[in-house]
Amino acid sequence: MINVVGANKSFGSNHVLKDVSIDFEKGKTNLIIGKSGSGKTVLLKSIVALYPLDSGSVFYGDTDITNLDSKKLKNLRKDIGMLFQGGALFDSKTVLENIMFPMDMFSQMSNKEKLKRAQFCLDRVNLVGADNLYPSEISGGMNKRVAIARAIALNPSFLFCDEPNSGLDPTTALLIDNLISEITKEYQITTIINTHDMNSVINIGDNVTFIDKGEVAWRGDKYNIFDSKNQHLQDFISPAMLIRSINR
Amino acid sequence: MTFFSEIGNYSVFLAKVFNKPERKRILFKEFKEELIKLGINSIPIVIIISLFIGAVITIQTAYNMKARLVPLYLIGYLVRESMILEFSSTIVSLILAGKIGSNIASEIGSMRISEQIDALEIMGVNSASYLALPKIIAAMVFNPILYVFSVFIGVIGGIMAGSLGGLISVTSFIEGLQFHVHLYYIAYSMIKTVFFGFIITSIAAFYGYNVSGGALNVGKASTKAVVNSSVAILIMNLILTQLILN
Repeated sequence: MINVVGANKSFGSNHVLKDVSIDFEKGKTNLIIGKSGSGKTVLLKSIVALYPLDSGSVFYGDTDITNLDSKKLKNLRKDIGMLFQGGALFDSKTVLENIMFPMDMFSQMSNKEKLKRAQFCLDRVNLVGADNLYPSEISGGMNKRVAIARAIALNPSFLFCDEPNSGLDPTTALLIDNLISEITKEYQITTIINTHDMNSVINIGDNVTFIDKGEVAWRGDKYNIFDSKNQHLQDFISPAMLIRSINR
Repeated sequence: MTFFSEIGNYSVFLAKVFNKPERKRILFKEFKEELIKLGINSIPIVIIISLFIGAVITIQTAYNMKARLVPLYLIGYLVRESMILEFSSTIVSLILAGKIGSNIASEIGSMRISEQIDALEIMGVNSASYLALPKIIAAMVFNPILYVFSVFIGVIGGIMAGSLGGLISVTSFIEGLQFHVHLYYIAYSMIKTVFFGFIITSIAAFYGYNVSGGALNVGKASTKAVVNSSVAILIMNLILTQLILN
């Protein structure tokens, strides 16, 4: 469980996050949606303490990470997996080395155990036979799947995904969504996903938070989002409504 | 003001770099890779530069000695002294600042804009130390080796230019090489190359690490890294020469 309480963040005169308070549930896919530039990524990076907040708190369970010293924060981060927008795989390492990297750095496993765990993670994301390829040699969808495998390598309690579907075709995007959702439920992870993909909302939106101009404008789930009276949210989801109307 | 804030940021960066490494085994593994990337792979350019510098010094010295009452073997002596004191340490380091410096700044800068550094931080890895420390140690270890290599190749270039151009016999050149040897000069220059190795890698890593924005800024950081590390080398050269030789 993660709780954000009264989070504020500015860059110069640009007040990006305005008194944001959200609870993210364990074992559920918590989606943050909003237009580009609404503050989603800043919120996500503030939650993982990549950006320090100007005011407010972020609780991981009972621990407020805004007050943690660097050593404790470092220890907490070993329990975090993150999927970045572009994958952020290490170019100089193969797929297998990328997945083994967190284990190399922080686990006491033997090489054999690390290899076994990496293979398990690769199997879990349905990626077999790509072990020795470099990130530049695999497709965007494979890249994201390797990044998920790396993110779950150390059995994290918290998973963060920043625009996991950006740049992917609808079929692969659906596959990535389902994978994240399955992993979240299987390992009872607290998962937070930033997205502006309405397909993801309809598919895996257990909890949905709509951010507009740095403020929480609406909260709900995939079942009641289309009934929302919030005009900004209606404007945001209208393209998805259009597709639904064509389908009918 | 920008200058002082950059010095401050550079100091903070170095403090982060010299933090205790996550895993010594990983540091050693990365160090070995950097030895190859920054050291072994720099040998061809060092050979080319040193060979031509040695040859040119020989021709210039011989030209200036024509019809003067000085023994020809001094050409060998001057080539040796020039290579040992300045060319193989400072000039080669300036060239390496261009080759290695731009490579490091663009590599780390690209990692920054593609969020690979954020990924390291999220995992709980000290990204500055993980990325920069192996490069700094590798350059500090391998630069003196490149220096010795450069002196040796420079002398060979001098011998070739002297004998093939009919300026000085190989015997006279070697006589000059053996004339009035100061081993202290070699130690002085080797100390310089250790400092220069540190300057090249740490400044380049600093600019790469602090890239923000897109690919255009990676290029700018790369240029800044080369220019500033070259200036820093020249200033450090002056300081060390004053401290050690005076």
